[in-house]
Amino acid sequence: MSPSVVLALVTLAAPLGAALLSVVIPPLRHRGAPAATLAILGSLLATGAAGILLTQDLAGRAIRATVPWMLVQGRGLGQVGVRLDAVSIPMLAVVCLVALAVQVYSIAYMHQETARSYGRYFAYHALFLFSMNTLVLAPDLLQAFTGWELVGLVSYLLIGFHFDRPSAARAAVKAFWMTKLADMGFLFALLLLFTRTGAFSWDVALRPEVAEATAALIFLAVMGKSAQFPLHVWLPDAMEGPTPVSALLHAATMVAAGVYLVVRADPLFAQAHWVQGGMLWVGTITAVFAALLGLVQDDIKRVLAYSTCSQLGFMVAALGAGSAFAGYFHLGTHAFFKALLFLGAGSVIHAVHSNFMSDMGGLARKMPVTALTFAAGALSLAGVPPFAGFASKDAILTALEGRAGWVPWALLLATAFLTAFYMGRVLVLTFLGKPSAAAAHAHESPAVMTGPLLALAIPTVAGGLLGPWLARGLGEEMHLHLGLTPVLAAVAALGGLALSLVLYSRGGEAPLAGTLAELDRRSIIDRTWAFGYRGLLLPLGGALRWVDRYLVDGLMNGLGFGTLEAGQALRPVQTGRTRDYALAVVVGAVVLLILGTWR
Amino acid sequence: MTAELGFAVLAFLLVGFPALRVVTSRDLVRAVLWLAVTLLGTAVLYALLHAPFLAGVQVLTYVGGVVTLMVFGVMVTHKYDGTTVAIDGANRVRAALAALAFFGLVGSAILRTDLSSLTPVETPSTQELAMALLDRYLIAFEVASVLLLAAIISAVVLARRRDPTPEAAQPAETARLQEGSVP
Amino acid sequence: MTLRALLLVATALFSIGIYGLVTRRQAVALLLSIEVMANAANLVFVAFARYGGAPGHPLVLFALAITVAEVAVGLALVLLFYRRHGDTLLEMASEAKG
Repeated sequence: MSPSVVLALVTLAAPLGAALLSVVIPPLRHRGAPAATLAILGSLLATGAAGILLTQDLAGRAIRATVPWMLVQGRGLGQVGVRLDAVSIPMLAVVCLVALAVQVYSIAYMHQETARSYGRYFAYHALFLFSMNTLVLAPDLLQAFTGWELVGLVSYLLIGFHFDRPSAARAAVKAFWMTKLADMGFLFALLLLFTRTGAFSWDVALRPEVAEATAALIFLAVMGKSAQFPLHVWLPDAMEGPTPVSALLHAATMVAAGVYLVVRADPLFAQAHWVQGGMLWVGTITAVFAALLGLVQDDIKRVLAYSTCSQLGFMVAALGAGSAFAGYFHLGTHAFFKALLFLGAGSVIHAVHSNFMSDMGGLARKMPVTALTFAAGALSLAGVPPFAGFASKDAILTALEGRAGWVPWALLLATAFLTAFYMGRVLVLTFLGKPSAAAAHAHESPAVMTGPLLALAIPTVAGGLLGPWLARGLGEEMHLHLGLTPVLAAVAALGGLALSLVLYSRGGEAPLAGTLAELDRRSIIDRTWAFGYRGLLLPLGGALRWVDRYLVDGLMNGLGFGTLEAGQALRPVQTGRTRDYALAVVVGAVVLLILGTWR
Repeated sequence: MTAELGFAVLAFLLVGFPALRVVTSRDLVRAVLWLAVTLLGTAVLYALLHAPFLAGVQVLTYVGGVVTLMVFGVMVTHKYDGTTVAIDGANRVRAALAALAFFGLVGSAILRTDLSSLTPVETPSTQELAMALLDRYLIAFEVASVLLLAAIISAVVLARRRDPTPEAAQPAETARLQEGSVP
Repeated sequence: MTLRALLLVATALFSIGIYGLVTRRQAVALLLSIEVMANAANLVFVAFARYGGAPGHPLVLFALAITVAEVAVGLALVLLFYRRHGDTLLEMASEAKG
């Protein structure tokens, strides 16, 4: 086993070990701190291993180490193990690093929890890191599916972490149901692949219709997990979970898993041109729609949630345009700056004890580190050069040039403007101006929280430099050119930012804000899904329950009851009268005689 | 053919008709008496079949012994309140059908069998019979005696009265108690 | 008197006994029917003794003895039955009912 494989296994085994120990030895969990220590130790080891793996140059080749899984007639149905190449290693590094930062941050953030809750939280985190790594390192789609479902489970557990809060419990169930619905696509894709090719690999040449069908089914799952329109409604509600969870799962890693999957299965998607066309439009629509809604939220986490949704739309659109690199690059940069933004928001929320920006204001002076790092994140997200976000967004826009009559390109350019605009609004409302009553007593967060902020700020700013390296690994090229697209992107970003800073610091409102707010309040799509759930799914479940209770159980009970009744009905045969028994004997003798003579 | 027909009539008169009366008489005593006739008729048939000893034994044990026993049985278990209860019951049709079915089956089997190879043989004389009983069939003979002994003993044990009847005991008991309770 | 005729007579007698066995309500009457049936069996044996030999008359004697024993014990049982139920109607012995 080569050292690389060992390192990869460390990234899996370390967090798994932490999780298992926390689960199997309850005192570790109940006392809180031991579980936390284990989890962080696990992520530290995993991050270290991932970092070492980054130094390898695996352009164009892959290291596979697998064992057969689910043996049927001597042959495994799938393979379980690790696959190390230029696609999996960067993602692995990003996931481990962000997870480590978030876990360290959580030490302080989750401080007020009871020891038991605290321990449970960190056990979940360890489980998440293991699950996500299983997905990232998957050698075939079967293991990817396993990891996919596992992270979905952990997401449910963490969104509903404060399960005694009804809204949190509901949000967890909603997230789970919606992603589960979408995951059926993944399941059917697996079945389709297996019946056609006998395995679960994405590295196969398929007939066009099969490729399209498989890709479409997988994309359905991606739409769920990566919150694409119209399956996006669970993401804003997922903000019920603790903020570090929102940072890790619902910004940086889990929701990006959908994007990662498409990048991973690029050989498959490259054969499905119709699906790619669909992805282009779905991504674009999602990006625009979410950005518009993000403009009118008061809850800072919801702004960031819609922002995440929008940025995921950017990534999906890039993938739809055929550039796996652009989507992947933006995934990486987004992971860093969005996690940074969420952790920063958490820092602010922690200080003012409220999620709402109307309770904030003027925090720049009171929380300088938070403010600065948050601003860095905001600039990166807005796409201001030379921040990382600019580089990756530019890559996307470049990939969209000329596609579908330049329409997606134009729309996403406009969305870049909107992104800068709503982030400007957040900056003004949160950090500038006069503090509200709640914000008056705010102070900077402890070092355990600001440390990760600073750590994440580095790739947020400088991450763009890694672009060319990433591109080479994927077999594509990244040009830093001075053309129409980058210039327009920069203008949109800077212009949007400047405009919003001016508008909002004067206390104004954006045009159409009222309409958008109304649209948001009406939640048409959300209500439609709710109707589907309450009006169709639950009645269907009720009908099935009826069938089970009255038909299936009825059949079983009926058999039992029928037997008893039959027994009762047969009782009169025993009349107790001797004569009847004598007659029976005679008749029996006659029958025997008949049988004996008619042979 | 006519010999057979004549025999049939004879048999019917001797045993068939009386047997029918046994099973259909409403009066139990009459039924017992008709049984006696049946048994006597059988004895006649035995005599005709060159089995005189058996005919004699039949009359002695069956007609003399068994019928007498039956009469005793009837007398001891008869209710003397004058009511006559229906002596046979509701399943006459089924019984008749069963009996006819039986007769039909066995009868047809008999008719289909070729019995022409069997011819009348010399039946054993009484002397030969006695010798056989004490020679060839000695063990069966002894076992039969034991059986009879067992039957006698069991009949006696079953039928004897263990205690006085409860009605008879009661007055004596209560009388004693009443006497004893007065100090 | 051919063998065949004799056998048919015996069968008829047996069938009559069957009718009585199934029909009669009185215990003693039942025993009478059984007597008829036993008698028919004996007749078969005697007939075959005349027309074939084995096993012959000794068997008839033994059958007779057995029948007599059966009657004796049977009547004793009927007596017990009468003492318990006050009458000999077979419906009264219905413990096996249902």
